[in-house]
Amino acid sequence: MSRLIPTAEMTLGPFFPREFAKDANDLVKGAPADAIEITGLVTELDGKPLDNVILEIWQADAAGRFDNPGFSGWGRAATDAHGVYRFRTIRPGAAPGRAPHVNFLILYSGLMRQLQTVMFFSAAPDPVLAVVNAKDRLIARPDGPNRYRFDIRLRGGEETPFFDD
Amino acid sequence: MATRIEPRDPLTQAQGVEQGYAQTARRWPSQPLLRRPHGVAELSGPRDLAHRLPPVKGDLAGYGIRRALGQLVRLRIRVLDEDGTPLPGTVVELWHCNSAGKYIHPNDTHDAPVDPNFYGAARLLTGDSGLIELRTIKPGAYPVPDTGGWWRPPHVHLSVWGRVWLSRLVTQMFFPGEPLNEADAILNAIRDPGARERCVARLAPSTSNEMIFEHQLVVRGRKGTATLP
Repeated sequence: MSRLIPTAEMTLGPFFPREFAKDANDLVKGAPADAIEITGLVTELDGKPLDNVILEIWQADAAGRFDNPGFSGWGRAATDAHGVYRFRTIRPGAAPGRAPHVNFLILYSGLMRQLQTVMFFSAAPDPVLAVVNAKDRLIARPDGPNRYRFDIRLRGGEETPFFDD
Repeated sequence: MATRIEPRDPLTQAQGVEQGYAQTARRWPSQPLLRRPHGVAELSGPRDLAHRLPPVKGDLAGYGIRRALGQLVRLRIRVLDEDGTPLPGTVVELWHCNSAGKYIHPNDTHDAPVDPNFYGAARLLTGDSGLIELRTIKPGAYPVPDTGGWWRPPHVHLSVWGRVWLSRLVTQMFFPGEPLNEADAILNAIRDPGARERCVARLAPSTSNEMIFEHQLVVRGRKGTATLP
């Protein structure tokens, strides 16, 4: 069967409309007991924080399922002028063969294409975490009750590990 | 049937540090990207994006009291997967600057004027044949706000989703015959000339007051059983 070649990805640029990220960072409605907050700082070389970086997440529901019609599993946040993003979601369960995790996709000017990384809640065995040397950089730090901190360092010291796909 | 994602072809996909685009050397990771196995997490994707991301203003030239300044254009953009199957009901986000090269964004410091009748962002759902269509004006060129920057040719930013998490596509559409296309550090980061050409829209015949540009986006993903490495 003939195959079309995927369109070339290109940088998001610096001017992604603010309104496209508005309200998309809250994956839960109301105030369920299992709601968590994930925040972090996104930096470039030399630890400089970046404004209007777009982060998208994809995660399982509390039971580890990716096909729950009652829980979207998808969200988008933009960093603010201080380089900080924020998601409100639930703690994902373990999908078969996987440790609980949140998939991250990062888009920004100066990135010719999307970057992919994964946030874990612990060092529990996981086939994706297993390919990473600096495992601790992908494990979120507890940051108060139901709060997790996950910083993303695009380049330089303590650089976040990223996946090809 | 499951969706399969094949590795990127470095000839048709750019990545890394690009000479002439200084920000890439501050932002692209210095460490090699890691290969990971693909399972349900990577090969599934959100099903409710049309609900999470509701439509935003479809006619960018008709937002104000008067028509936006610039050459009226109609964009027809089709979204397909690698098998050539159209993706109906999928979200397409689109944003571009005004005819003077200025974005409606607080971070745009370019001293070009704002057009009060132009609105630079739309979000639409594809129809049955994977097509979106909207009226706007042709964007202007502008200087890149980066160390040793250059002039960006007129372009439209596009953001679409395929069937799974790994099919996400964010790209740009260019206009045919623009001299700045030849020197653009972003378009020319694509090594394969055919792949660059596919990022340039096609001018279609028009007898109305709008120039018509047709374009095609191919998101990653083929039908087939996922092969785990």
